[in-house]
Amino acid sequence: MITPMLAGILFLSWLLIFCAIKVATTKNLVHSVFWLAGVLLLMAAVFVILGAPFLAGIQVVLYTGGVITLMLFGIMLTQRKPDTQVAMDAENRGPALATAVGMLLVLLTAIWGTPELATMTPSPQMVGASEVGKIFLSTQLLAFEVLSLLLLAAMIGTIVLVRKGDH
Amino acid sequence: MSELLVNPWFLGFAYGFPLITVLMTVGGLATWFERRFAGRMQNRVGPSFVGPFGILQVLADGIKMMQKEDIVPRDADKFLFNLAPILPVFLVLASAATIPFTGYWDDTGQWQSWLMVADLDIGILWVLALAGLMVFPIWMAGWASNNKYTLLAGMRGVAQGVSYEIPLVMAALVPVVATGTLSLSGIVAWQAENGWLVWRFPIVGALAFILFFLSSLAEANRIPFDIPEAESELIGGVIVEYTGLKGGMFLMAEYMHTAVAAALAVTLFLGGSHMPGLSFHWALGPIWFVLKSGALFVLIYWIRWSWFRFRADQLMELCWVLFVPGSLILVMLTAVQVWVETLL
Repeated sequence: MITPMLAGILFLSWLLIFCAIKVATTKNLVHSVFWLAGVLLLMAAVFVILGAPFLAGIQVVLYTGGVITLMLFGIMLTQRKPDTQVAMDAENRGPALATAVGMLLVLLTAIWGTPELATMTPSPQMVGASEVGKIFLSTQLLAFEVLSLLLLAAMIGTIVLVRKGDH
Repeated sequence: MSELLVNPWFLGFAYGFPLITVLMTVGGLATWFERRFAGRMQNRVGPSFVGPFGILQVLADGIKMMQKEDIVPRDADKFLFNLAPILPVFLVLASAATIPFTGYWDDTGQWQSWLMVADLDIGILWVLALAGLMVFPIWMAGWASNNKYTLLAGMRGVAQGVSYEIPLVMAALVPVVATGTLSLSGIVAWQAENGWLVWRFPIVGALAFILFFLSSLAEANRIPFDIPEAESELIGGVIVEYTGLKGGMFLMAEYMHTAVAAALAVTLFLGGSHMPGLSFHWALGPIWFVLKSGALFVLIYWIRWSWFRFRADQLMELCWVLFVPGSLILVMLTAVQVWVETLL
């Protein structure tokens, strides 16, 4: 049965897939980045429908607000002509195909491995920010700390790379 | 009927349309107010012929803008060029959706916030997420116009927007840490019951308020942070190539942004619609809210007409040397005070 929630998710998913295809097929690099922004925003909308508004907010702040801005900076600081075309073929068809098929297999096994997925209904219960915070600092503490360590390492690494030019 | 009154879709439309109308009107009147105010400050009259006190000048300007020819530069990126003016208006209007415009004490002595389009559990995160997206239209317009001045303005705008977003978010974290909620109605309720944040947390609250206010000025590209516009160097910034209503939409968004920034600062730090001893009826709430945010609104224009513009590097230095570490320290101090108060 198609509930309003399911209909919303399906609609957003089709829109999302359209944007994702556009990201890969658009020749104009700048347009491609903005299609990607569309993908990330639509994903946030799906999170909202699934009852995770906090996750949606963080998705917009970090991915749309952060990652896309970083890409725009990259374009601004490297490109010379605004309409530079990107090569559509990276000449890595073999590895790319292998990665894509591998990813598909992983996802399909995950979906088939959870038979209750077909009968599962998303709970209308919203997962608030406080629950997420509690989970981060209790059951998922190790993952949380490992992630922050990774980010710290990346940050220090960037500083070291940038400072190399001084000496 | 009562079922309808709690339906979020119905409430969204019932509150949303008046809110959009009011904000659009405020945005239009703000242009008139700015010119009158600047005139008064500079010992001249300002617009005074069209209507009483020149207030219909807004209409005259609007009609003029609508009549102008719509020109898209030949080498412009047409898709992004036409998309860019719509976004800032949308983002500013949407970020006002979670602000509660009134509130009252209910029978049990609890503060109830009311008159908001959507009482989101993540209200402040919604506002900050939209503020983070504000750099996109600036960048789009700067890039798509295919003009060296707009490109420079766009780069400056994104650099400034991204930098000042950090102190903005950190300063907004002070109320979140203090009240323990992300919902704007919850933050106002906490302030009504425990005292306004600006003095409930001595010095820290006031400093966080100042940081938030200045960072939102920077997000709204107002003087002293109007580097992306910089009339004297960049001939008006990213909107140079826009004609008529498209350029008008950028200006409209900027003026509405000042009003929304003032309203947000009031909601987060100055107790929203609460006034000690004078909040016995919900109908009084909007009066206090408008008075408080009106004072901040005037302050924004006052600063604009009495201050100078920072140089781009001074602006960045101010942000990264003073605002970012300062706001981090403020969040930590707030957390310490909250912790100490739980011990007592």
